[in-house]
Amino acid sequence: MTSEDSTGPDAAANTEETTDGGNRRDWVIGLIAIILLIVGPIVIYTGVSSSVQAATTDDPWSGIATRDPHTDHSKLMTGPYETGSDVTKACLECHEDAGEDMLHSEHWLWENPPVSLPGRAEPVSTGKKNTINNFCTGIQGNETKCTSCHAGYGWEDETFDFEDETKIDCLVCHDQSGQYVKGGSGYVAEGVDLVAAAGSVGTPTRDNCGTCHFNGGGGNAVKHGDLDSTMLHPNETIDYHMGALDFQCVDCHETVDHQIPGTMTSVKLVDDLPVACTDCHSIEPHEDERLNSHTDRVACETCHIPQYAVDDPTKLWWDWSTAGQDGVSDDPHEYLKIKGSFVYGENVIPEYYWFNGTADRYLLGDPIDPDGVTHLNYPNGSIDDPNAVIYPFKVHRANQPYDAVNNYFIQPHLAGEDGYWTTFDWPSALAIGAEDTNMEYSGEYGFARSDMYWAVNHQVAPASDALQCTACHSDDGRLDWEALGYIGDPMDTAGRRTSGSDG
Amino acid sequence: MKRRTVLLLGVLALFVSTLGFAGIGAASTGHEGDGQVVPPGGGVVPPQETQDLVNPPAPHDAAGSVMHPNYALLDHDAQNVLTTGKPISTLNTCGQCHDVDFIVEHNYHASLGLDDLGTAGSTESGRAWDTSNGPFGRWNPITYRYLTPPGDHLVDLTTPEWIMTLGTRHPGSGPATTARDGSDLETRSSDQADPEASVLDPVTGETIAWDWETSGVEELNCFLCHLPNPAGDARTAEIGSGNFAWAGTATLAHTSLVTQSTDGWEWNPGAFNSLGQVAGDRLPIRKPTSEACSQCHGTVHTGEEPLTAADLDEGWSTLTTGQIYSDQRLSDSGLNFRDKEDLSRAWDIHAERGLDCVSCHSSINNGAQVQEDNATKPDHLVYDPRRSDLGDYLNKPLHEFAKGDTAQGTVAPQYDNTMRTCTGCHDPAESHQWLPYQDRHMQVLACETCHIPSSMAPAAEQYDWTVIHEDGTPVVTMRGVNGPLDQSSTVISGFEPAILLREEADGTKRLSPYNLVGSWYWTHGTDADERPVRTIDLEAAYLDGGTYAPEIVTVFDTDGDGHLSDAELAIDSNEKEAAVAARLASLGLSDPRIVGEVQPYSVTHGVVGGEWAVKDCQECHSKDSRLAQAIQLGNHTPGGVVPTFIGDGNTESTGFMDVQDDGSISYHPETTSGEISILGSTAGGWVDWVGLAAFLGVLAGIMLHAALRFWGRRKYGPPHHAETREAYLYSRYERFWHWMQAAVIIALVFTGTVIHWPGTATAFTWMIFAHNILALLLVINAVVALVDALATGFIKEFIPSPQGFFSKAIQQTTFYVKGIFMGEPHPFEKVEGEKLNPLQQATYFGILNVLLPAQIITGILIWGAQRWPDLTSNLGGLGFLLPVHTLIAWFFAAFVIMHVYLTTTGPTPLASIKGMITGWEEVEVMDEEVVS
Repeated sequence: MTSEDSTGPDAAANTEETTDGGNRRDWVIGLIAIILLIVGPIVIYTGVSSSVQAATTDDPWSGIATRDPHTDHSKLMTGPYETGSDVTKACLECHEDAGEDMLHSEHWLWENPPVSLPGRAEPVSTGKKNTINNFCTGIQGNETKCTSCHAGYGWEDETFDFEDETKIDCLVCHDQSGQYVKGGSGYVAEGVDLVAAAGSVGTPTRDNCGTCHFNGGGGNAVKHGDLDSTMLHPNETIDYHMGALDFQCVDCHETVDHQIPGTMTSVKLVDDLPVACTDCHSIEPHEDERLNSHTDRVACETCHIPQYAVDDPTKLWWDWSTAGQDGVSDDPHEYLKIKGSFVYGENVIPEYYWFNGTADRYLLGDPIDPDGVTHLNYPNGSIDDPNAVIYPFKVHRANQPYDAVNNYFIQPHLAGEDGYWTTFDWPSALAIGAEDTNMEYSGEYGFARSDMYWAVNHQVAPASDALQCTACHSDDGRLDWEALGYIGDPMDTAGRRTSGSDG
Repeated sequence: MKRRTVLLLGVLALFVSTLGFAGIGAASTGHEGDGQVVPPGGGVVPPQETQDLVNPPAPHDAAGSVMHPNYALLDHDAQNVLTTGKPISTLNTCGQCHDVDFIVEHNYHASLGLDDLGTAGSTESGRAWDTSNGPFGRWNPITYRYLTPPGDHLVDLTTPEWIMTLGTRHPGSGPATTARDGSDLETRSSDQADPEASVLDPVTGETIAWDWETSGVEELNCFLCHLPNPAGDARTAEIGSGNFAWAGTATLAHTSLVTQSTDGWEWNPGAFNSLGQVAGDRLPIRKPTSEACSQCHGTVHTGEEPLTAADLDEGWSTLTTGQIYSDQRLSDSGLNFRDKEDLSRAWDIHAERGLDCVSCHSSINNGAQVQEDNATKPDHLVYDPRRSDLGDYLNKPLHEFAKGDTAQGTVAPQYDNTMRTCTGCHDPAESHQWLPYQDRHMQVLACETCHIPSSMAPAAEQYDWTVIHEDGTPVVTMRGVNGPLDQSSTVISGFEPAILLREEADGTKRLSPYNLVGSWYWTHGTDADERPVRTIDLEAAYLDGGTYAPEIVTVFDTDGDGHLSDAELAIDSNEKEAAVAARLASLGLSDPRIVGEVQPYSVTHGVVGGEWAVKDCQECHSKDSRLAQAIQLGNHTPGGVVPTFIGDGNTESTGFMDVQDDGSISYHPETTSGEISILGSTAGGWVDWVGLAAFLGVLAGIMLHAALRFWGRRKYGPPHHAETREAYLYSRYERFWHWMQAAVIIALVFTGTVIHWPGTATAFTWMIFAHNILALLLVINAVVALVDALATGFIKEFIPSPQGFFSKAIQQTTFYVKGIFMGEPHPFEKVEGEKLNPLQQATYFGILNVLLPAQIITGILIWGAQRWPDLTSNLGGLGFLLPVHTLIAWFFAAFVIMHVYLTTTGPTPLASIKGMITGWEEVEVMDEEVVS
């Protein structure tokens, strides 16, 4: 029973030191053993660690890179500066690589690397520089107007030097003074305090990006249905990320070496630097398995952007054929003599198409069917495309001028003294426009229908406003199942399609 | 919504102006000669799609089935209504293809208890006046009017008047075409004395003859359920004015087929083809929409228009339970909810997921839905493809619909539990992996209990017919709302249903959600001939020419303002009761008396998904457990009458009624009895008082003892111990075992306390896990120690030796109650191998042989309630085991403090504790040396 024989106080006294030491060690070891024996199984069984891990992923900022505070440049950039290029030169003194980075950027080149398109022998290079749209239709010949949104100074015509770093406009993206404005050909507008602007530089905010991106197409909310000036100070119902969480554009469009990720198929056909919901969110983020089972076929945006142009109407229809009339009062949302008539819509329900991230492209010179509708950038994808999802689009429909003999669209020359906006003369505007784009103009013109597809991916609503099942799966649902390639509502037909394999 | 409408109008206006521009352009621009070619189709008009963008039309046609052919509308004589101008006969018309005899015959919606009629008092409801289980014969205190059986001399509802009033929620045929003896009502001759061929004149109180030939009968109204947009109001108007034959025709008022003029209904020849047939798209027939069901059963809402208070008006299930079937989010509705913005869930997850009423309540022979009962289906079959052919089904569609078994569901009892229950579609085991004790929860809880956390619309609480307003309506109290719905200050909170035990189809009793509606009303007559007092008599008793009779005002108008408020309009004194009783008696009613009843209504709709379900352990496992919550049955108790549960509800009503001082009355469900007991909700019960008394008793004893020791020490000086010596009493293993067990027991008491009085929810779950693991460690430690003790013979120390035990025990007791105070030495020497004194031996003998095993066994059984429910329930059930376990825990806690206190009674206060740490203890040496 007792493992030690010593009895009596003497024996105890003799072994006191060792026994005490032994006892203390025993005590510590025993205590540790008891604690381990008790706590160990509990921790293992209840999985404390997993619950701690789960808690951290609730932080909306956990997927966003943290930035160091921006250096105060007010002491560094004291000027004086005559021109925007003077500021740029000063910037480049320290940011030596920035110039080279910018020279390869889309914001500078307005042109993307060539990609192969089905049905075309040669790879094509598209971009704002050379690609037709159905708003003001194209920049060639109209540079002085259009390039006020170019991140550079002095793009007046095709002779612009894309290798000249000093022509880069650093301030349009980095100015935080709030008084920096660009004018014709991208030059700094009159009255801008360049020293104040240069001293204020910081990480681009929504204001910087919004200067151009909220105003694409010549005014607020014209082009993008999901980017407009309400997003400078949005509430959470306009855009949850920017409103409730105060995200800046660059929080998602996380930029490295001035290459800004994100793509709109209006100008770029292949998404080599995508921004996706799943950059931060899981592909199966819902508690509900039924919702998660949608994510391989339905884009996040489809349910989470139930309407676009939430609080600012966006342009849905542009009819160039009615332009040039006298005696009609101008209203930027209805009719302008220089542009024709418009229809705007607010809180618009998107249209839904299969989309795999790429788009087809109408290029200058391609033939059109004047009786039909020409899709300038029809989204690629179908029910049989494993990479395609059902995606929300704003479709901008237009009636724009074309060469009635050659049957192709022509970009009219609009800006300048000889442009349509001054002369209101289509034949000359089209003749000059054709010349600017090295095309032939027959002298006969008409107006033909065109559609442009603008993926809707901003203005994400709070989760509590996301679409519910019956928004699509009901008698009056928003999806046209047959058009998407289903036999009928896949809820009723077990997801079967009209073609291809089941999925 | 409004905003979008405005926007749409704006866009339309834009189109108009754009068209205007196009016109101006053509006239004034003069560009045509400049080479412009106008393409075919123009292009100057905005495409239709652009308009659609803003508010697109439905890509699908929501109308009727494309399969339905064109057909002629036939009248009663099977002639085309176009030629005769007579009302449509639905049976002749639909009977051209469908077997309407079959449909009418197998149709509880039509019969409503007609087949089931018996004598008054023959049903299980407990009311002496009910004549059937269906609405035709079963009285309901909400609708109040009573279908008078033949032979009663006081007539309330005759058959024609039943159709005109309650019959608006009856689709026709059954009692609307057939007399109680099975004959045709249409051929029944007018007879003032026949309750099937007369009506009560409300002025004279006498019956007058009813001419069935003029009124016609109301055939089963196929259109009411099978049209997308039936004209229910027009139909109700025809029925209400006794034009039964025209009810079916009126239902078509929203189509272009008929128009109503002052002369009645006229068929519109332009809406028929040359063959006199109506095209299917003008009279689209389809499977019943949920809205069709909602005409009688409760509020259903689809579409984006916000659901408003006006939608809550007529629905029966909404009135009785607050159930709403809608895919709309509560936050998107037009109702004024408390914390509305947070309520981003739909009213019902099934509605949200696109299910309609017939998805679950389908026709029982619908081949697409039929599913054999698990009870009869062979185990090896997952799916049985043998089912009725589509053509057969369309010819003979059984109009008996799958149903569950609700508390109020006395209708069509032969079809109880024909519906798929939750588990008929869902596999809860898969989705409830997170739920601790999943099996146990599933055994005792209906799915609805957690998945209908609250009913989110006002529901009836009390119907007080013992008093009436001047318009003849009763005083009604609604729960889940703080005022009348038409006031903007009214806020809807919804209500948590009462949770009662109910035996389900599988024989298991589960806790399920209910609304309880309390009703009070006057009856008269002997017990056997008891009848509710008719509204006509109530009005005669209370009113005098449309206003309250002066005698009534005198008694009821307590504030003397000449006006009776709802607060005054309550029989809360003997005086009021006597006054009304006297006025009823003066009408010739014998023994007028107040009766109270409680009708439970099952809450089965308004289901939420997992995200919104009750998942917080504390909701149930706490003192305020929602499972044990009382539910108010009335803000006053008319006549002080405590109501009784209706006899045919399928719930257990073993709880108790509680009338408060303010007169309000509540029902407290009993949820801790027998097999069910809810951890954490029973704290503060008698067990805790007994346990606390034991604990405090021990504590008080210790404190008294310690005080006496302190006093003795001052009086007699320090204990005059004999010689002491250091003895090695506790081996390493013994010490390890002791401290391990001490730590585990303290941790068990701690975790057990948290479980008993739950703190935060996460702690609750965690504590249960921890408690179980600790218990396992305790058992292992105890078993290993037992084996060790047996193997080494150490166990002998714990066994009291019979020889001289009592004298030794008395000696030891004497020491503790006397000698110790005077500093006397311990009576027995603590030596190696004989460390325990007789009292310790007795205590440990009790603890180790009784308390510890009892605690282990009750603990295992409580834990095992989900593994071996039968074993647990055979050994007393949780209702017995949990209190026992708790009580023993109290005893253990008491033992621990006594044990710790007694360690201080050695030669020095810390000697024993030091001994248990080091193994070496200073012990007293006795005069007679005991050799080990």
